[in-house]
Formats: sequence, C-alpha cells, structure tokens
Amino acid sequence: MVSVELREILKILGDFRLEIESLKAKEGEFLTLLGPSGCGKTTTLRIIAGFEKPDRGEVLFNSKVMNEIPPYERNIGIVFQDYALFPHMTVFKNIAFGLELRKLPREEIEKKVRWALKLVGLEGFENRYPEQLSGGQQQRVALARALVIEPEVLLLDEPLSNLDAKIRERLRGEIKRIQKELSITTIYVTHDQEEAMAISDRIAVMNDGRIEQVGKPLELYYNPKTEFVAKFLGLSNILELEAENGKACLGKLCFNVDKDGKVRIFFRPESVYITDGDFAEIVHYELLPGRIRLRLSIEGKEIMAERFLDELPFRVENIPKRVGVRVKSFALL
Amino acid sequence: MRTKLILIIPITFLILFFYLPLISIIHEGLWDNGFTLKYLKAVLSNSYHRRIILFTIEQALASTLLTLALGLPGAYIFAKYDFPGKSFVKAILTVPFVMPSIMVALGFILLFGKQGFFTQLIGRDLGILYSWKAILIAHAFYNFPVVVRMVSSLWQRINPHYEEVAMSLGAKGFTLFRKVTLPMLLPGIFASSMLTFIFCFLSFSIPLILGGYKYATIEVDIFTSIMTLLDFKVGSALAIIQITLSFAFMYIYIKSLDMYAKAEEQRIFRQPQKLTLKELASLKGLLIGIYSLIVFIFIISPLLAVLYDSLIFQGKFSLEWYRRVFSAKYNPIFGANTLIAIKNSLLFGFSAVLLSTTIALIIAYALHRWQFKGKNVFEALVMLPLGSSAITLGLGYIRTFHKPPLELLGTWYIIVFAHTIIAYPFVLRAISAVLKKIKPNLKEAALSLGAKEWQAFLKVELPLALGGIIVGAIFAFAISIAELGATYMLYQPEYTTITIAVYRFLSARQWGSASALSVILMIVSAVSFMIIERIGEEIW
Repeated sequence: MVSVELREILKILGDFRLEIESLKAKEGEFLTLLGPSGCGKTTTLRIIAGFEKPDRGEVLFNSKVMNEIPPYERNIGIVFQDYALFPHMTVFKNIAFGLELRKLPREEIEKKVRWALKLVGLEGFENRYPEQLSGGQQQRVALARALVIEPEVLLLDEPLSNLDAKIRERLRGEIKRIQKELSITTIYVTHDQEEAMAISDRIAVMNDGRIEQVGKPLELYYNPKTEFVAKFLGLSNILELEAENGKACLGKLCFNVDKDGKVRIFFRPESVYITDGDFAEIVHYELLPGRIRLRLSIEGKEIMAERFLDELPFRVENIPKRVGVRVKSFALL
Repeated sequence: MRTKLILIIPITFLILFFYLPLISIIHEGLWDNGFTLKYLKAVLSNSYHRRIILFTIEQALASTLLTLALGLPGAYIFAKYDFPGKSFVKAILTVPFVMPSIMVALGFILLFGKQGFFTQLIGRDLGILYSWKAILIAHAFYNFPVVVRMVSSLWQRINPHYEEVAMSLGAKGFTLFRKVTLPMLLPGIFASSMLTFIFCFLSFSIPLILGGYKYATIEVDIFTSIMTLLDFKVGSALAIIQITLSFAFMYIYIKSLDMYAKAEEQRIFRQPQKLTLKELASLKGLLIGIYSLIVFIFIISPLLAVLYDSLIFQGKFSLEWYRRVFSAKYNPIFGANTLIAIKNSLLFGFSAVLLSTTIALIIAYALHRWQFKGKNVFEALVMLPLGSSAITLGLGYIRTFHKPPLELLGTWYIIVFAHTIIAYPFVLRAISAVLKKIKPNLKEAALSLGAKEWQAFLKVELPLALGGIIVGAIFAFAISIAELGATYMLYQPEYTTITIAVYRFLSARQWGSASALSVILMIVSAVSFMIIERIGEEIW
C-alpha cells in the first residue's frame, strides 16, 4: 500500500492558477477531490498521474519524489470520464493491454483478465468491442483495465458522470466495494457532493485552484470552515449576528458561542426543529416525499428548516402562520 | 523532450526544398546588384502580363461559381435523402481526386475537339476547346465533388431543432432556408469555395492544354517565360506576384477552414430521409435522377472518351496504339521507351509516398499532440507549401540546385523532392483529420498501463490513424503520378514519366498514343480509387 502526497504544488495554465500547499492520501484511503467544474480537481489528478508537470512542488508516493517518473513507471491505474477504451481492441485485449506490456506469460494474462472481469461482473464479454457495450459496461471494462495491473494508486476522474442516475448509484457502491476488497489507495474526482459523501473516507473540497478544506464527509458537512464548503455540500443557513456575554441572539433564538463581537453562525436545515411558539413566521413551505421544507422569518432574517412530517407539532393540513424554532447544533464559520 | 528532436527532419526538408528555392526566386526577381523593383514594374506595366494576371483571377472566380452551381444541389440531395444508387454516385464523386489532369484534358479534347464526340453529336463546333469555357468546365470537374462533400457533411450536422424552432415561430420555405439554414451552411460553402478558388488559381495542366494560346494563366506564363524564352527575371517577377496573391488566398482559406471545423464539430448527425417508392416516382425522384445522371456523364465521359480513342486505329477497333506504345523501341518523341516511363512513374510515386507520409505524420503529430515554443510559427511554416505552385517550385529548384554545394539538378531524387513538397499538404490534411478524431486520453490510458511513449503510439494511435495515413499516401501517389509542371522543368530524358510522355504525345498531336498511355495512368488511378473506397475513410 502506498500513500500519495502533494507538497507546495503550483501549476499555472493560462489564467488559471492551481496552488496546493499540502494534501495527503493515506495508505489504502479513499480520498475524493470535490469541487465545481474548473476548480482544478482534474488537473490535480493529472499531476498525480504524471500527465501534467507541476511548475513547482513535489508529488510523493510513499515519501518518494515522483516528479521525474513518467506515467508508465508510476504503477497507477486511471479511469477517465469517457473511459478511453481502445476502440480497435476487444474487451479482452483492452484489459490485457497493460499485462502484455509487462510481458506476462499467456496463461497468466488470461487468468488475470478473467479475475478482473469477474471482479467487475462482466464475465463473457471478452470478445465484444467497446462500441458494442452500454455506458455502464464500458465503465466496468475501464475499471477492470485499470485494476488488472495491480496498481498501487487508483485514479478516477469523474468515472460516473456520463451514466444515468440509477446505474451511477449502483456502480458507486461497486467501486467502493472493490476498493475496500483490494485496499488500494484511491483518489476520486467528482463534482457531485452526494456521490462524494457516499463513497469517500475523506473529502478535499476545492475551489478556484485551492483546497478549501479536507475532512471526513460528515465533519465537512456539519463543521465547514468556509462559506463555500458550507454551501457546496448542501442547503445551509448562515446568520451574521452580534454576540454579547457569550451569546448571539436573533430574537428569541439564541446560540451559545462563547465569545463576543461579530459571529457567523452556520447550521443545516435539518438541525432546525419546529416547536410550539410564535416568534418565527412561516413565509413559504414546500412538501417533499415524507418531508417538509420551510422558509421561516425571524426578526427580518430568513432561515430554512427541513423536517420529517411526523416530527411536526402540527398537521400538514393545518399549517399555522407562526411557530417556534430550536437549533440543535451549529458551527461558527 | 528528446522525441521532439524528430521535428528536425521535416523542418530541414522544408527549409532546403521549399524555403531556399522560394528565397532564390525572391532574390532573382527583386535583386540586381541591390534591391530593385524594376522587374516587378516591368511585368505590371506590360499589358500582356497584366491581362494574364487579371484572367487568372477571373477564370478562378468563374470556375468557383460554376463549381458551386454544380455542387450545391448535390450537397442538398446527399444531406437530405437516401435513394437507391446513392453510394454508387458518392463513389463516382471520388474519381476526380485520383484522375490525372492531363488525362482529363485529353478527354476534353476528344469530346469537344473538331472531331470530338459531342461536336459530332451536335453537328457543330461549340467553340469550347481552346477557350475559357473548356478551362471552366474542367475546373468544375475537379472541384464540385469537394463542394458536395464539405457542404453536405455540414448540412447533416445542423441540429434540426434550429429549423423546428424557426418553423414554430412562423418561418417557412425559402425564408426558413435563407434566415436559418443558409447562415449555418456558410462556413462550408465559403471554405470549399476558397479551396476551389486556390486550386483554379494555381492550376497548370488544364489551362496549358485546354486554354490554347489565348487563355494563359500566371502559371502558364511563368512556364513559357522560363522554358521557352529563358527569361528568369520576368519568370521570377511573375512568380513573386503569384506567391503573394496565393498566400493571401491561403490565409483566408485557413481562417475559413477553422470556422468550418468548428461548425462541423457538432455531435448531431441527421440521418438522411429514405425516399419511398412513391416519392422516387415523383418530381423529387426525377430531379435526383437527373442530377445523378449529370454527375455520372460529367465524370465518366472524359474517361470513356480516352479509353475508346485508345482502342480505335484508323477507324477500326484495334490494339495497335498499345502495340506501338509498348514496343521497346526507342521512342523519339520523348527519348525513352514506355516501360522506362512506367518504371519512373512508379519509382517517383512510391518514393514521394514514403517521404511525404513520413513528413506529414511527424508534422501532424506535433501539431495535434505536442505543445512547444513557437508552435504558431511552425504551423504557418508547414502550411505555406499548400499555397505554392508546381511551376514556381520548379523555377525555384532550377535557381537553387544548379550549382554546388547543392548541385542536384539532373538527379532523379530532385523530382521526388518536388513531388513530396507538392503532395505532403494533402497527406497532412488526411492524417490531421484522423488524428483529430483520436482522443488524447487513449494515449494517456496506455501510458498509465505501462506503455512508453513510442509503445503507446505504435499500439494505440497508429492503428487508429491507419485509415487516414493510407488515404493520405494514396493522395501523394496520385499527385506524384499526375504531376506535370515541376517534373517537366526538372527532368532529363531518362527520367520521363507517363504523364510527361502523354504531354509529349499531346504536343505532337498524336492522340492515339496519348490515349493508350493515359489508359495506363487510368488503371493506376483506378486502383488508388478502389483502395480509398475500400478503406472508406472520410477524405477531408
């Protein structure tokens, strides 16, 4: 098992500037680079793979500097967004490609290709050409081709974003299962925060060429360090309040912040509980399957709440104009 | 980094065999113990040369218009409809690409001459031959397939939603076409027109043979100035004027090609509508039928005329012309025998293929895959030869290679080098077209799986590009086999090619021998044609 580390990376591409102070994927870890398009996550992946050279800084595998090692000697497996299956080769040939370059004997190649096909659940497709496969099947072949060479690092560049929602959800589970089974250090690039939360050990949120925050999925979700991370990972409430004696209050809604002066308080809609009371006005509500999303106005500021229907102190048929509100957990930005 | 050193090969070749000759012409025309404009002024103030320059531009414009008139209906039919025999008509459209212009010119003489088939058929001489009319028709013969293919390919890629939205907003019929469809087709129409225009502006064999004495172009004028009048100063001054104009046209063409490529990138591909039997029997079907017939007659009749003529000796069917042409006896007309001419044509053809394919492959790869300093300059430098003409090149070679240290005049390989310079831009286009379609991340996938750069190239990119490379190689072969102007200026009797021999027979007005030899050219071209059809790669 290998750890992957980036140190003081700088890469300038025209107007775009990618700068990463430090980022480390531990041995066997599943690390996701998450961010909007154009934030530099794919470039980061390509620097790790060796397709792009950083202008400054180091790429380390197990503390060994890899900058000058060409991609074909880094022992990586990579899966692209469009799979990049060789169109002139069969599924078998595609998967065997890396093994043939390693000059393995014939029987061994066949054995390993069969193992890889079984791993991704595509037995019997050996003689098909890529164009004869569905998107999901092509995706599996690309994964098998990357894994069969037993790489030390697996790099996945938005591997699921060309697939439709159902297949996407099934395949992400399979990728996770295979990654755990082989305990291979994996770096995964995506712009889909739900996918990132579902699949990752840790997530690095990127924005405009920089890493905003690295952490476990729920840690990022409930304790974001910046407004960008807060908003990118889901719906959020951010209140700017003045704190006195360790307390910041919006009317009757108070937060124990343990400091004075200006504070920015962050909490998710699902941390907001609805109680009996009358200090919050219901401005608007939306019924979702089994849930309700409420926009509430307190002292002229709006917050959002989301609750399961059976948690409400009233019936949906009879929604009051005013309610009380309690925030169970929050964080300071 | 070291792999990029391979660029030295094409760069050196281009400098030695294109830019050095080009500089020698500029030197010849603008230098006389110091910089001078007197030769340029002399040419431009001479009404004969002025008329020729004007005529060259006029005939190119008129040829382009005729080409469009012939090509656009075809583009429409091909983009919109599927009908029986479509693939056959499409294949016929490839024929002009590989048919030597000297053979086509001969076919026109046989069709429109005083004793020609059409002249006999109509009963009077239409005055087509040895006039601007013959030049225009022959140029249209060569270029209308380009218009058909480029414009129809674009037409199929217009997203139907645009037209549907326009229709929902009330546009219909001609308004719909003029306001929505036509603007989207313009890049294709413009790019193919520019290509046609440049071809006609620089064409040599057709005006030389079909234009007669009265209708010379700049290219023919340079040729006579040098080969007949031995006036290198005037020839160079004319060449400088031609180069300046053609480079300007080239610049416009390359810009228009960028627009075309962008428009063609659309993922949409509209399936042509399959015509039902009822529609085929209607006016629509009739018009399609008439168009297909015109295409067929237009392209095939010069070829059939040549074939027929080669088989008629003194009014009777006979193989006499072939017997004469193939008799191993020394042939006084071109100073070698036919077998040697065939051998030379093949030798030059295959050598030019090898050289131009290698050079074009390296250049295409560098243009599409590598980033390096000065890439823009490099791109311009490798594209310029497309705007040069055979006669100008020949002139430059005569000036550059007649003295040490590069005394190459009189060798066979100097002819191969000239053919290579003329052919490689076309090979480059064919190879670029396939390389553009190969996604760069296929190579990266191979690299990640342990392939070194050269292994990734050999195992992944080369097999995928092979179709385009073969098509490019065949272009090079067809161009080399058909090349007349530069070869004529550089050859020695022992390096006579089939094309030169045909030209000598034509000059001596020996139509029968010319036809018999042309049939050999035709066979070679037909083989090229069948290979292209088999591979089925899009040619541009």
